[in-house]
Amino acid sequence: MREAAVISQPNPLQRIPGVAIVLVLLIALFSVIAPGFLSVANLSNVLVQSTILTMLALPMTLIIMTEGLDLSMGAVLTLTSLCVAIVSLATKSMLLGLGAGLLVGATFGVANGWLVAIIGIPPFVATLGTLGMAQGLSLIVSDGQSVVGIPHSVRDIYSATLLGIPVPVVMALVTYAAFHGLLYHTRFGTYIFALGGNREALRYAGLSPNRLLIAVYAIGGAMAGIAGLLMTARMNSGHPTAGLGLEFDAIAAVAVGGTSFERGNGWLLGTVLGVIAVGVLRNGLNLISLPSSVQVASVGVLVILALFLDGLRSRA
Amino acid sequence: MSDGLPIEVTLPTPLLELRGISKEFPGVKALDDVSFAIYPGEVHMLLGENGAGKSSLMKVLCGAYRADAGEFYHKGERVAISSTADAQKLGIAVIFQEFSLVPYLDIAQNIFLGREPKGRIPGTIDRHRILADARRVLDTIGFDIDPSTTVDKLGVAQQQMVEIAKAISQNARILVMDEPTAALSDRETELLFALIARLKADGVAIVYISHRMAEVFALGDRITVLRDGRRIDGVRPADVTPDQLVRMMVGRNVDMTYPRNFADKPGEVLLEVKGLTAPTGIFDINIEVRRGEIVGLCGLVGSGRSEVARAIFGADPVTSGEIIFDGKTISGEPDLAARRGIALIPESRKSEGLALLRSVSDNLVVSALKKLFPSGLFDQRSAQRTADGLIRQLRIATPSARQTVGLLSGGNQQKVVIGKWLAAGSKLFIFDEPTRGIDIGAKSEIFALIDRLVADGAAALMISSEQIEICHVCDRAYVMREGRIAGHLTRSELTEENIVRLGMHHA
Amino acid sequence: MTDITKGAIVPPRSFLSQDAVQLFYRLLAALLICAVLAVLSDSFLSLGNILNVLRQASLTFFIASGLTLVVLTAGLDLSVGANVALSACIAGTIIHKTGSPALGILTGLACGGIVGLLNGIMVTALRIPSFIATYGMLWVLNGLTYWYMAGETLHGFPAGFRQIGSGYLFGLPIPVYLLLVFLGIGTLFAQRTIWGQEIYAIGANPVAARLSGIPVARRLLLVYAVSGTMAGLASIIFLSRLNSAEADIGESLTLPAIAAVLIGGTSLFGGVGTVFGTFIGALILTLVLNGMNLLSVSANWQPLVTGIIVILAVWLDMKTRRRAQ
Repeated sequence: MREAAVISQPNPLQRIPGVAIVLVLLIALFSVIAPGFLSVANLSNVLVQSTILTMLALPMTLIIMTEGLDLSMGAVLTLTSLCVAIVSLATKSMLLGLGAGLLVGATFGVANGWLVAIIGIPPFVATLGTLGMAQGLSLIVSDGQSVVGIPHSVRDIYSATLLGIPVPVVMALVTYAAFHGLLYHTRFGTYIFALGGNREALRYAGLSPNRLLIAVYAIGGAMAGIAGLLMTARMNSGHPTAGLGLEFDAIAAVAVGGTSFERGNGWLLGTVLGVIAVGVLRNGLNLISLPSSVQVASVGVLVILALFLDGLRSRA
Repeated sequence: MSDGLPIEVTLPTPLLELRGISKEFPGVKALDDVSFAIYPGEVHMLLGENGAGKSSLMKVLCGAYRADAGEFYHKGERVAISSTADAQKLGIAVIFQEFSLVPYLDIAQNIFLGREPKGRIPGTIDRHRILADARRVLDTIGFDIDPSTTVDKLGVAQQQMVEIAKAISQNARILVMDEPTAALSDRETELLFALIARLKADGVAIVYISHRMAEVFALGDRITVLRDGRRIDGVRPADVTPDQLVRMMVGRNVDMTYPRNFADKPGEVLLEVKGLTAPTGIFDINIEVRRGEIVGLCGLVGSGRSEVARAIFGADPVTSGEIIFDGKTISGEPDLAARRGIALIPESRKSEGLALLRSVSDNLVVSALKKLFPSGLFDQRSAQRTADGLIRQLRIATPSARQTVGLLSGGNQQKVVIGKWLAAGSKLFIFDEPTRGIDIGAKSEIFALIDRLVADGAAALMISSEQIEICHVCDRAYVMREGRIAGHLTRSELTEENIVRLGMHHA
Repeated sequence: MTDITKGAIVPPRSFLSQDAVQLFYRLLAALLICAVLAVLSDSFLSLGNILNVLRQASLTFFIASGLTLVVLTAGLDLSVGANVALSACIAGTIIHKTGSPALGILTGLACGGIVGLLNGIMVTALRIPSFIATYGMLWVLNGLTYWYMAGETLHGFPAGFRQIGSGYLFGLPIPVYLLLVFLGIGTLFAQRTIWGQEIYAIGANPVAARLSGIPVARRLLLVYAVSGTMAGLASIIFLSRLNSAEADIGESLTLPAIAAVLIGGTSLFGGVGTVFGTFIGALILTLVLNGMNLLSVSANWQPLVTGIIVILAVWLDMKTRRRAQ
């Protein structure tokens, strides 16, 4: 069988141009129209500000690869951020705060996974419901007020550096490495491809798709917990609308990054580039003094464009 | 041996033997006391019409279904197959028509899905070993390809090879193949046959389901024929003729005729297709259909028959060419074609023809809403009156017009699909495999219905894989091959032999 | 005739249609909640509170009625709340600038309708799944609204205009009359027109609908446009009731509207449901929230409860569906 010769290049190579072109175009555009965009201070600012989004977008990639979606991520992050703030305030311990955030986040993740996998509710509605629940709980635990006066140990995480690199960036890099290893080098990662690509294949191999699916959503929730710590550190407070709409930026990054909403075709590096693209877009618009509302709208347009192109590609 | 076939006396102990397997579903006896034996190194052909029990038997074999009654013997020892894991342990693997591959994993990961070699860190995969193992398995079946290629890059034939490699890697000694050549080109088919010969030589037993007579005789060592869930006979290819096999499958004389009053003189031209080319893979199609005619459209599965039907109906886009219906050119979406009087009765009635959860009445009037209610105001009672009329006219067996259509039998569902176009007053009926999955009694009813339609001045274009039906029912037929019209057969030329000759790849 | 014998063993559908039974259960639930609240709270049965419940329910209903049609086609419109906000802000500006409520109302309806049409175009022409397309639209609209308002609040509208949301006629709030009118129109449209029938058919099986000659793309455009227009209508009533417009008024509207549709028995999977059911759904949701209010539960609990209700409603729908199949 000499048919191997007709096989084309690996897919990621074909896909790089999509995100890369978007990113290069955005950087080129803002270099010209936004004074100060290309400064080292600003660019590192973009990177630091992209860290929270990275921590949401990476697990979102896995979730979307299973033909799922997690609309609750931003609201869960809000809740975990508040939990971190409240617990660390009460115990003066950053680690206990992080623990609380992780626990609450993972609980929501498991709940999402349970609703999607076991009950069989379509992911966008199940997570819309848990979005409401997380939002409600945030209002209840905070009584609609900011939680202030949190310990320095929490706040310092955002501003500290390790070997000259900001700690949030280090955390994002470690997260990326962990997700890369998880998706491409473990059995679990292999099964994530199968969850979106061919669930029957998993059943034939004697594996339980439901448990895997719950695990994927649980990872999303737990990551929202860690990101919640960063959010609290960044704002030096817990705020009941802190994570509003962050899930949308995460979905945008995943979509721009070339992960397909069908058939389990995911690409983690693309997601990271997508996160930076969203960060550059917001930062650039900010520099030319356009309000955050315009940033929100343009990210919306970006997503619709990316999905449209994704649709074209999968039909071609 | 319970069946006492003389040939089996001389054979060694069967690799696997099934005795008295029965499987019942609500209202249907899918398998009824089926016994058969599989020997090492043989290709065992499984033949039968749609619904004869082939796929049920296959699912029982691989543990997806649990038999209600019966026994399994593996190398003479009694065993139980009650799960896919049991079947795997016995070395049974099934190559389904719908592959069980994951598109964005590579070949090695697919072959060893769920059985990945463990790496040093817990949870990780030993990448070197999985590639080397995959390489070795691919070598044993003679498939020369890089195991780190992702499966979405592979063609159908290559994917099938990966499936077979996966089965071999699980030490499968019994390979069940369900119409493996259905989607393959001739060259790919040859390669598959070469592989099957190789596996046979290694002592692997192959259970092969096929609808192609040529394959049955070229490959088969033994043939088991199923009909209505029962084993009809077990024979050697040398001892039977194709005609005898067909008779066993259908259980009646092959040349049973369907009711048909052939028109002496067809009416005026209703549909004229000129040079139709579409991106779905049809080229320069020229077809003419007259009132009072049933025109057949045949050819192999995948030759572009359904694509022609969909293009005429506007369901798929068209690159070039002209469709003239009733004297006027049409182009556009299905709603336009339907309004002009074209009806499409699609191949998969459940997914494309009906809203299964809605009532018979809802389904019957859906295409005729504008005609029945020109004011735009819908009236449930008047809709039901129309539906009741159609139910009587078509003799649809349903307790009432309000019955959920998904609860009807296949034949009655098909009548509902036809009925909705009757209500719409269509003039040209395009049937795509109108008798698929319908039992024989209902079949002749459907044909009688089509006959009445054209006798009343309508016309029909009928796609069917059952050449016998085309020969008996059609006034004339077009034969397609690889997306083109390969030839036209008049009533007198219309024989199975001619259809096959024109439809074959190297005719 | 083997088929006839097969058909005969299938049990016939019960005398009452499945839809009617489902509606009956929901009405019962609404009455039960009323009874419980009447016992728990003295003020529940006061005329003022009942009228208040009806008025609240009508606001949810306006958004949810259009949304019902979208959900009937197995789609979803997550942008309705943001649409209300943008339409209200634009309509408010027009009224302020021109002094003409009529012009403002028209602009609000048109703005809502255009947004809906854009949603429809994304779903049909660009073939983006509806939940994600309208979710993108939600953020586009939010961005536009905040940018347009730039933190300002519009205040004070003509007294006549304010009557729409706050006025009374024969002792009943005017929104309640509007509710009855649109309940009637919606029911007529869904049950008694051929477009309504086609919408049900599309939801039940979009492929079969297209191959049955239904112009699916055009009907979907219509459905999303209607949903948007109803959001526009809701924006007018909000504007007139609140007598002010702010960029954030739509944020807490989408989830309750979806909840009302789902509680009302419209299936997320399309083809099943009624506009009247959505009215009951809006009523049940309002009663629950009103009851929490009367029992002095903090308003902070509302999103949590609404979220739980959404999930329970879908769960219920799936259970009844599984039984039906």
